[in-house]
Amino acid sequence: MAKSIPWIPLLALIGAALAGMGAHRLQEPLRPATEVAGLNAHETHAGATLLGQFRTNISAWLWLRTDRYLHNGVEMRPLTDQELAAGQMGVGTSDNHEKDLHDDSAMRTVVPSQSEDFRGWMGDVERATSTYKDMTNHGHNSPKTALPLFRLMTWLDPHFIRGWTTGSAAIGWGRVPGSEVKMMAYLKEGLEKNPQSVAIHMELGSVKVRRQRDFRGAIPDFAAAIRYGGPNLEKLGPDDQEALQDAFRWKTLCHREIGDYEGKVASAKAGLQLFPEDSLLMRLLHESPLKTVPGQKTPDRVEIPEEEEEHH
Amino acid sequence: METTVESSAIQVTDLHVSYRTKGGQTLKAVQGLSFAVQPGEVVGFLGPNGAGKSSTIKALMGFVEPDGGSASIMGLRAGSLAARKRVGYLPEVALYYPYLTPIETLTLFGELQGLRGPELRKEAMHLLELVGLSESYRRQNRTLSKGMLQRVGIAQSLLGSPDVLILDEVTSGLDPIGRRELRNLLKARRDAGCTLFFSSHELAEVEMLCDRLLLIDKGHLIEERKLDDLRDQLREFEVTYTGGPVLSDWSEDIEIGEGGAVRVRFGNQSDLLQAIDRIHQQGGKVIEMIAREGSLEDYFIDTIQRAA
Amino acid sequence: MRFFVLKALTRGVVIDSVRRKDLWVVAILGLLILLSASLLGFFGLDGLQSFVKDLATSVLGIFTTIIAVLVSGRMMPDEIKNRTLYPLLARPISRWELLVGKWLGAVAVTWISFGLLLVTTSLALALFRVPFEPVMLQYILLKMIGLAMLCSVTLLMSLLMTPAGACVMSLILAAGTGMIVRAMTMAFEFASPPVQFLFKVLNGLLPQYGLFDVGDRAANSGWGPAPLWVVGALLGYAAVYSLAMLVLSWARFRRQAI
Repeated sequence: MAKSIPWIPLLALIGAALAGMGAHRLQEPLRPATEVAGLNAHETHAGATLLGQFRTNISAWLWLRTDRYLHNGVEMRPLTDQELAAGQMGVGTSDNHEKDLHDDSAMRTVVPSQSEDFRGWMGDVERATSTYKDMTNHGHNSPKTALPLFRLMTWLDPHFIRGWTTGSAAIGWGRVPGSEVKMMAYLKEGLEKNPQSVAIHMELGSVKVRRQRDFRGAIPDFAAAIRYGGPNLEKLGPDDQEALQDAFRWKTLCHREIGDYEGKVASAKAGLQLFPEDSLLMRLLHESPLKTVPGQKTPDRVEIPEEEEEHH
Repeated sequence: METTVESSAIQVTDLHVSYRTKGGQTLKAVQGLSFAVQPGEVVGFLGPNGAGKSSTIKALMGFVEPDGGSASIMGLRAGSLAARKRVGYLPEVALYYPYLTPIETLTLFGELQGLRGPELRKEAMHLLELVGLSESYRRQNRTLSKGMLQRVGIAQSLLGSPDVLILDEVTSGLDPIGRRELRNLLKARRDAGCTLFFSSHELAEVEMLCDRLLLIDKGHLIEERKLDDLRDQLREFEVTYTGGPVLSDWSEDIEIGEGGAVRVRFGNQSDLLQAIDRIHQQGGKVIEMIAREGSLEDYFIDTIQRAA
Repeated sequence: MRFFVLKALTRGVVIDSVRRKDLWVVAILGLLILLSASLLGFFGLDGLQSFVKDLATSVLGIFTTIIAVLVSGRMMPDEIKNRTLYPLLARPISRWELLVGKWLGAVAVTWISFGLLLVTTSLALALFRVPFEPVMLQYILLKMIGLAMLCSVTLLMSLLMTPAGACVMSLILAAGTGMIVRAMTMAFEFASPPVQFLFKVLNGLLPQYGLFDVGDRAANSGWGPAPLWVVGALLGYAAVYSLAMLVLSWARFRRQAI
């Protein structure tokens, strides 16, 4: 009976399974320094197996699909360099939410309009069979409808940072009372999976400031974003670079709001070292100490945006 | 214009077939081949590997386009739909559709032949019975042995009672019993007036079935013989005797054995009989007389070598 | 062209494919779709309807495209490899009839696979309480026409190159034509007149398989079916294109030594 059991392949399988289960323990110490700064961990660490790559691709695909659902199926594309050089304009939007998700000022529909299409009847057929419509000055579906998709994206690939940050914004869409608690819980879940993500730390601090006016409580989040991102600026992707710059701005504003003049100056200076062209940090640096008094309103004071929807 | 020579079942005139190799060279498989097969005749088509047998058969079936010359079957241009309607063909190696059963295979080919309905089913079952597959007709072809597949092939070639049967390597894969059954089957077809044209490497089969044989090599016809004539030619006669005359003026094939016994071989029977008379007349004593059928294999090899 | 010949050839292909268990693979794929769909339920149903419909039409489209290519890509090469072409062509059928019969067989197998996948996909959609809308009917009809056209393209490819090459090339054409056309529409305005002419020629030559996909309209709410003239135009286009592919296949095959 025992002879009929293929022990060697069986043991090899069990061994492989155990090794696979234990591999995640090795992942943290083995991850390269770049990931510390919140780079796309899933693409660089040793565990980026075929399956890992597959789920990363699925998440990226879901991201693109989400954008299409928000446009009710109409596929958009950015203007080409030639089109931009020719002075052509994007279709533009009638609302102003989720700018990063679909900033359509330089976007147009993938299927061209009849006047721009050389294909004659074939173009007409495509416009009739695809989800095409004139998107000039168009609106969007509520990001709320895409919430399960953000959840799905982060479930498939926990290192898909945009899924966490934009998903949090979708949760908070419409400013339903109590939504900020859900937003923060979602972002904290994201931080558990990506403890060194610049963008998520920045986003968490941003929610605390915008939704709760908790300046003091937000400073450690911005500081964490700066701690992980600052030393690796060159290695950061565009999203994380932008998040790092925002973290410096928000942290500087927070110091001012709690009356910490030295902290504000130090934060602005540190930010300007990395982003010397940042005019907002420059202005904050040169504000008079008087303007650090909480609640003080002066004409040249840099104000914190309140009503604008979250953006990333 | 489909009709050419109506008197022959198969007529091949100055046929040329060539292939273009991957290297761009032209390979001449058949070069100016001409022969005719009369209705009701059984003709064996022999030749070494690469002689052009299959290419000739492919030209007859319309599988390849001849470079020159012409071929016709029952007076119809070879390869035309009308000609193919009157021909049953057994390919050298065919796997048939592995997932179909023999009865489905025959139904498919029968329908393509223009047969249908219960009559087709009846004929298919009858043919499967004839080739000994009546108990395996529901098994998928892929589960059949090579010999059984060959039987499926033979059955399909007989569908629609063709006037001409063209069989490429007919006994391939068959066991001795299968060969005998096939032989009987083909003889029955011949007796029913069907013309048989087949290639084979099995010279014994050729010998047992054929009226005539065609021998080709390197695309040329090198010998065309009636089998009866050939048998006569190949038959050997031998006498062993002691004493009496020396027969060196009768035959060059003389051996003198132990005890002075002389063995003499003759090419025909009348020489043998005259020699025996002479031995008796001159006081000799005949020990042994043998009439031996000649070897077709030796003839085959000799003829090919001579042509080369 | 005789109907009974086409019928016999088509039936042979279908029986062969069913027995090969090709369709079992399709059924397993369908079950996987169902399983994946039930997994998606964990993420809540609100807002997922569009995604589920989108996923369903995408999965259907991808799998049936692959099936169409694989089935039609092996039709003629298998006949030649297995030497079944000899007893077939020994029968009084023309090579044109053989090609059309094989194409119809491939189309029939593809449509059956599509039907099987459609059933499982519809079950998956029912899990999400997605109503069956008229646009889905149009999706099915146009998809079937498109698949038939794709089969003819693959059949031609299989006579021009190796079976693997034919399948890869057909998949590239099926998936890539949309991208090429997209790039051409973007670049057309800035291209020189000769290049613009080339774009027009290419646009006419490439199989516009993507035009037959109204999956996006089915997935996103408020679009509805395309107008009837579009269905007519696509039907005509597929008929002309498929015929052209079959004629080219015949031109290649009719004098081919086997």
